[in-house]
Amino acid sequence: MPDKTISYEELTPGYKFPPATYELNASFVSKYRRAVDSSGDGFVPPLAITACAIAAMTKSVPLPPGTIAIHASQELEFSKLVPVGATIECRIGVAQKIARGRMSMLVLELEILDKGKEKVQSGRATIALPT
Amino acid sequence: MLIEIQEGKALGPVAKHITQETINLYAEASGDFNPIHVDESFAAKTPFGGTIAHGMLNLAYVSEMMTLAFGQGWVSGGKLRAKFKESARPGDTLTISGRVDCIEKKDDVSYANCNFECRNQKGEIIVMGEAIVRLAGDGE
Repeated sequence: MPDKTISYEELTPGYKFPPATYELNASFVSKYRRAVDSSGDGFVPPLAITACAIAAMTKSVPLPPGTIAIHASQELEFSKLVPVGATIECRIGVAQKIARGRMSMLVLELEILDKGKEKVQSGRATIALPT
Repeated sequence: MLIEIQEGKALGPVAKHITQETINLYAEASGDFNPIHVDESFAAKTPFGGTIAHGMLNLAYVSEMMTLAFGQGWVSGGKLRAKFKESARPGDTLTISGRVDCIEKKDDVSYANCNFECRNQKGEIIVMGEAIVRLAGDGE
């Protein structure tokens, strides 16, 4: 879901990316559990939900070609269990953009809602970009 | 099996071995195919000198440890703040551990304040941070 309408230079605090929707079906959850080597019940692991949001984020941010983005920090708050098969909506916005020497830091706010628009998770991710 | 929550209680450890296959599986599951994770020839030419694991894969192991300790209290009432200090690489064995620093009560609800860290086999910190878990209230 890259937002082709904006370049990295044009991203400013307050900018909201178009929302991304994911179906957390059994196949996705099974693949995720295999990847992280964990067993589970009928609910989606909270970090599997975050993984969708981070994937949406990395696809959304229009980075200059060849840029290596480093995930520097992550804050998360889990509000609700999500059953396997649920659909979620990831909303991502720019909270801060900081230039520090030869690094640029992008702070993104994440909000994940279920189909009933109830909050499932929220958080902040800080991405460091060497310039 | 959930632990008995008390101040000073150790969390974990959970041990995980990272391979390129692990990283590739995570890329497929998450949809994050950044070449720094999955393209060995690309990654070799970067300052990292090789592929690295996704930070969220390392954090998933932290969440697994918290889920083992706190169950539903974690997955539907947990908060965390994590810093990714170093990168985990194929061949690394990660050990994730933590501790309950204190238990606080606010409005009849108890919260466990915890710290956690994830180290590689050399003792280097890969991820570190704090977590808060809502415990059952008096009336629950």
